[in-house]
Amino acid sequence: MPELNLTASSPLGGLEMQYAGVLLSEITDLALVSIAIPLGGRSALEREMAVRFNVGLPACGQSTVTTDGMYQFLGMQIDQLFALFEYSCNDAVSIISNELGKTAYYTDQTDSWAMLRIAGPMTRMALERICPLDLHPDRFSQGSVARTTMEHLAVIILRTDQDSFTLMSPRSSASSFLHAVETSIENVL
Amino acid sequence: MIQVNRIAGGLIDRSQPLDFFFNGQQLSGFSGDTLASALIANDQKLVARSFKYHRPRGIFSAGSEEPNALVELRNGPSQEPNTRATVAELFDGLEATSQNHRGSLAFDLMAINDLFAPILSAGFYYKTFMWPKAFWEKVYEPIIRASAGLGRLSGDDDPDSYDKGFLHCDVLIIGAGPTGIAAALAAGRAGARVIFADEDFLIGGRLNAETFEVEGQAGPQWATQSVTELNSLSNVRLMPRTSVYGSFDHGIFGAVERMTDQLPGTRGKPRQVLWRIYSKRAVLCAGATERSIAFGNNDRPGVMLAGSVRAYVNRWGVAPGKRVAVFTNNDDGWRTALDLISKGINISAVIDTRSQRPTFDLPGVKIVMGGRIINSSGRKCLTTLLLADGQSIKADCLAVSGGWNPNVQLSCHQRGKPVWRDDIAAFVPGRDLPVGMEVAGAANGALTLAAALGQGHNAGNAAAIAIGYNPSGNPAPKAEDEASGIIGFWHVAESKARAWLDLQNDVTVKDLRIAQSEGLHSVEHLKRYTTLGMATDQGKLANVPALAIMAELTGKSIPETGTTIFRPPYTPVPIGAFGGRSRGKAFRPTRLTPSHKWAEEQGAVFVETGMWLRAQWFPRSGETHWRQSVDREVMQTRSSVGVCDVTTLGKIDVQGRDAAVFLNRIYANGFAKLPVGKTRYGLMLREDGIAMDDGTTARLSEHQFVMTTTTSNAVSVFRHMEFCRQCLWPGLDVHLISATEQWAQYAVAGPNSRPLLRKVIDPDFDISNEAFPFMACGEITMCGGIPGRLFRISFSGELAYEIAVPARYGDALVRALMAAGSEYHVVPYGTEALGVMRVEKGHAAGNELTGQTTARDLGMGRMVSKKKDSIGSVLSERIALNREDGLALVGFIPVNRAEALRAGAHFVSQNKAAIIENDEGWMTSVAFSPSHGHSIGLGFIKRGAERTGETVTAVDPLRGTNISVKIVSPHFIDPEGERLRA
Repeated sequence: MPELNLTASSPLGGLEMQYAGVLLSEITDLALVSIAIPLGGRSALEREMAVRFNVGLPACGQSTVTTDGMYQFLGMQIDQLFALFEYSCNDAVSIISNELGKTAYYTDQTDSWAMLRIAGPMTRMALERICPLDLHPDRFSQGSVARTTMEHLAVIILRTDQDSFTLMSPRSSASSFLHAVETSIENVL
Repeated sequence: MIQVNRIAGGLIDRSQPLDFFFNGQQLSGFSGDTLASALIANDQKLVARSFKYHRPRGIFSAGSEEPNALVELRNGPSQEPNTRATVAELFDGLEATSQNHRGSLAFDLMAINDLFAPILSAGFYYKTFMWPKAFWEKVYEPIIRASAGLGRLSGDDDPDSYDKGFLHCDVLIIGAGPTGIAAALAAGRAGARVIFADEDFLIGGRLNAETFEVEGQAGPQWATQSVTELNSLSNVRLMPRTSVYGSFDHGIFGAVERMTDQLPGTRGKPRQVLWRIYSKRAVLCAGATERSIAFGNNDRPGVMLAGSVRAYVNRWGVAPGKRVAVFTNNDDGWRTALDLISKGINISAVIDTRSQRPTFDLPGVKIVMGGRIINSSGRKCLTTLLLADGQSIKADCLAVSGGWNPNVQLSCHQRGKPVWRDDIAAFVPGRDLPVGMEVAGAANGALTLAAALGQGHNAGNAAAIAIGYNPSGNPAPKAEDEASGIIGFWHVAESKARAWLDLQNDVTVKDLRIAQSEGLHSVEHLKRYTTLGMATDQGKLANVPALAIMAELTGKSIPETGTTIFRPPYTPVPIGAFGGRSRGKAFRPTRLTPSHKWAEEQGAVFVETGMWLRAQWFPRSGETHWRQSVDREVMQTRSSVGVCDVTTLGKIDVQGRDAAVFLNRIYANGFAKLPVGKTRYGLMLREDGIAMDDGTTARLSEHQFVMTTTTSNAVSVFRHMEFCRQCLWPGLDVHLISATEQWAQYAVAGPNSRPLLRKVIDPDFDISNEAFPFMACGEITMCGGIPGRLFRISFSGELAYEIAVPARYGDALVRALMAAGSEYHVVPYGTEALGVMRVEKGHAAGNELTGQTTARDLGMGRMVSKKKDSIGSVLSERIALNREDGLALVGFIPVNRAEALRAGAHFVSQNKAAIIENDEGWMTSVAFSPSHGHSIGLGFIKRGAERTGETVTAVDPLRGTNISVKIVSPHFIDPEGERLRA
């Protein structure tokens, strides 16, 4: 019987596109794990995160990062955060659950989202065309995260640098999502 | 190509001449011209024909309020009808055609309508076109349709693209005339985030049309200088060519920005952008629009608004006439005489309706105080005016000023009513303004320059302070207040000839009298009965004079009469701009399954299921009809093994100490005691006891479940569960997150499903019948350690599993399954075969869960556990839902096996008439069963469980067939379930 191997494929084939003033690229090396805070378990989780990751629980709409920059925790809901970290193997949940144990409930979300990085001086002009949020640097600070919709698609937007953002949208509509972002860039150039 | 009416001066660029075409004739103008100013330069007096009477029409104004000069702009698919020449920026090669005439503009065959004017007056269509009745559809309606409308569309798809966008600011300043500029300077200098929008392409508003001074400079110069300063501020965003068309809740405004309409082509970029502007504060500086005075034959080409005449002279350097008369009821109209005289244009008379001293001293000019014009004459354009005192005045242009109307519309879009001010004889914004909005300048009734600048300055500062900024301390820009006295005067009653109010829809004072005499006094009735204010100019010039005259006729005051309701858009917006990118394929996002690429390679035929594309069947070469493919897929799956992508079904991850308790309340049947490693079918009811959705839920651990839902209800079930979690039972420790996208999931069904899966799943996992029986579930690894999940559930009725792998491996897994299954002649099957097999098995699906059927109807009454409370349990016990003769889900076969059953047919007993009273139920799902070789169906029928073997009639009045059908068990294959448990 021949060996059956399963090779992974990313939602957007690892694209990278350079426009005048905007760089658009697919993020393929990050894992995403949902961490649900048990009812009444906030302080226990907070303590464990401090001990294991030396990082605080992020407020909703904000994120916290470990000092080595390896793990970023996104405040998604009152009782839910996402852990975003570099990891390409198949057991992202255990990386987190091995640290935080029974203080939370974990769900792998790594495969659920197509992730794009958009960066450069024209980024906000392009995003104006599809993002209803106020992305002014003074209003949406570095590390801010929000759920929104862009062209009828659910999108999580995270500001990662002066002029760069991570955009996450459900995997199944990745092509439509890419088209929406590319069209925005082309329309403003 | 000589522009005979050009004069010196103006804000045009004579170093950039432009050629354009009107009705095929080549003419010339300059950069900075509008189409209207260029037409005036070329002495084109006649530009259109009116709607009803096809009377000659000339350019009336210089702004977006224009009622007459509507053209079809551009040719081919980009042709846009009803474009106002007064706001269309001239570009090289512009092509425009006049509208609403049969034959040429100069010799319109439809002008004969004017002879029928007496019977075409207000409301005529309520009194005509009724006899003979037969004539309506074939004669009258086609004629009316052919005459309706003004301009024509090309009939082709709009070839341009449009975009949308979202902007945020502290202060939105609407209108860039003197008021707006003062407000923008104040707020901008204070450091607020300002968006500053104007519909024009040149910032400055009426400063560009007048000869005022601000801060000791000419108005246009001060405007340009202010623009330079505002552009230098990084917190200010100037948006010319942007119409703020609507004021919506919470400080949100709609605006449309014209990106390429001033260019010969779009160069592939969006033609216009529809912006949603979120503001904390807004200052409405929309200025005021002048209105006319009605008198006999006041619609003749050459009659224009006085302020517009000065705009053409001052801003565009063109003279609309060589002998200009002025007719006014206020001081402002006199400015036209002053400005034209200073440009050397002859003023034949100034006629002021007020009996008082002349506003200005004009030596050598005929002045008639207390005068009234009762008629005009001239064949295609004005030559002579007739006064009430019998005098005859020669004029080729009449500049009329009936006063100025503040542009209050945006302040009234949320049902605010404007209030009347006698001193300016105009409506101003009332007290009920949209939240965060202030009105300043002429829009607020401050009709003179210094007052307007002061209000703009103060409003800009106030807005900045309200948000928390400090004003810069600069004083308001300095200017003088011009004379502005007015005595309201709306129409010359002595006129015998018709006096126009709505130039575009051809509504006259006579029509108002008819409406009033027929009892239609209210402004809302007046509007709809006469169609005044219902044309593309939305009555900007007609509304106030009309309601003032109606007030006169009914003996009421103007405030008592009131205005109609203003609604967005303020000016027309192309439908394409509202559509944005949502056209064609991009109308909605498309969702693709993990096996999509592979399925495309197989030549699958796809079907849209909501936003998903799912493979419907996989034709093989030689197959010419879909039934061949589907029958083959069914037979091959049942005899060996088939694979189907079921990723689209909702998957909800449920975790928490109280997850089991939660599910027990959500589902009608019991879930609290579901063992770890087991899956159970679950039925969800609505609160009113009606069946809502079904699926299977697997218990992966003490505190973790994975629920599946139907594809179409994935979102609504998740929403329902979140509501229960957050609002009904916040004291439960339970957490939800969607896992639909996370896992690629395939059904593997058929007698050879187990051996196939053994080749894919790692040997550490025992999937024998003993170790992994029917309804088992668990985490596994496959293909050398790739994590996955296995569920032994069956929709087809065969021995079957669903195997899940993280979506990144979805494409690879389907290929591996096909490779592993080739020795078993594995067949991919699509949604059609999936549907056939579940009908053969007798599984309920969406067709049976209609939102009107209950668990009892579905034969699942006993599944609604009475040992615990769950949503819908109590109301499912209502008497009406539990009748003895209630519906039951059963199977149907045609008595004549060759006949095809039809879903949607209704059942009637054989000896009863096919009428509603005898309706006993309906057919929900049908399929051709390859297993049986004939059509089969599922359906609801009264007392169905007791009537097995009975023959009834399936009546289909829609398709005109009646078929005899026999009631059978809904389980057409393996009723004992032996295959499932093999």
